[in-house]
Amino acid sequence: MKKDIKILVVDDFSTMRRIIKNLLRDLGFTNVDEADDGKTALPILQQGRIDFLITDWNMPGMTGIDLLKAVRADPNLSHIPVLMVTAEAKKEQIIAAAQAGVNGYVIKPFTAVVLKEKIEKIFERIG
Amino acid sequence: MIKNLSVLEFEGLEELLKIKAQELVATLDAGDLLKAVELINELQQARHQVFYNEVGHLTRGLHEAIKSFSSDIDEKIVDDMGKKIPSMTDASDRLAYVIELTDKNSHETMDRVDRSLSLVDRLDNQSERFRDLLMLVGQLEGEFKGLAGVYDRTCSVKNESEKTIEELRNVLTDILVSQSVQDITGQLIRRVINLMTQVEKQLVKLMEMSSKVERLRGMDIDAVADDDKEPEAADAIAAQGPQLKKKEAGAVSNQDDVDELLSSLGF
Repeated sequence: MKKDIKILVVDDFSTMRRIIKNLLRDLGFTNVDEADDGKTALPILQQGRIDFLITDWNMPGMTGIDLLKAVRADPNLSHIPVLMVTAEAKKEQIIAAAQAGVNGYVIKPFTAVVLKEKIEKIFERIG
Repeated sequence: MIKNLSVLEFEGLEELLKIKAQELVATLDAGDLLKAVELINELQQARHQVFYNEVGHLTRGLHEAIKSFSSDIDEKIVDDMGKKIPSMTDASDRLAYVIELTDKNSHETMDRVDRSLSLVDRLDNQSERFRDLLMLVGQLEGEFKGLAGVYDRTCSVKNESEKTIEELRNVLTDILVSQSVQDITGQLIRRVINLMTQVEKQLVKLMEMSSKVERLRGMDIDAVADDDKEPEAADAIAAQGPQLKKKEAGAVSNQDDVDELLSSLGF
């Protein structure tokens, strides 16, 4: 697994961004960018240097599910693996995220072990 | 015409009905059908008016209660400097302030966790230096009888201490991750803020409506009523915020359920 890949963490709560960032650092990923909703995330993604996207669902402005759909609809971004980290726990929502092309789904509150496991699993699959 | 209809409330309705009913019977006995129909209309109008007066009463009462609640709470909230917090005029602001406080507090806790983790790193480095020194003891052990067994015993102490460092690192990471409660509570509070904003808006509408009704007194009240539209169909996948209770209908209760659901979808 390459550790120098660039990861974008999108969450409207700075607390959560910091937690995820720190856990990524523990995994050896230090090249991390942040955005506080889909609207601010998209331009960062479109600059074209993001290799992995971790996003919340429930955010003002543009939600995570809309961001996921926008990423999958953009030929330049559609290849980016997306991990959803969210408190949204309805079955319909998880199914909708899966259908929209999410690569992993972690519900909050999560443990460090779970988040690390899901991230590693995604990297395993994409090689 | 009915007198004081604008202030008529439920208590007065029965009395009025009695009087009007007797009047109606008398009018019918006298054979004045036109007057009788007029009386029936007046009765109906009185019933509507009572309803609107009650609603108006309720609305004003609620508005007063909210206002006095706000000023009541305002007097009790003081910040860490012992000053009253200005411009905390409504409950939404106060809830937003709770989010702000917990956010600040979470970050401060995480600052301390970061500092602790760097101290743990330092311990880890010291442990490595310790290992080098131990190697020296190991080499000297053969030459000095008094040192016999010291290397092994020190090694086991060092291993123990390395285990403790690892444990400490895990506990600190747990403290870090547990700060995510700020996000969860923040999302719940935001939902309450949204709800309150909605209620407040509807309340103002209701007050406007009741004041309009008062102005329209004597006119056809039915025109104002029965204006309720079907609520918009709820978006099935719209953001819901954190689940309050486990086993809420249609919600999964833990990560295992999510994994199971996703694997059933071929993940």
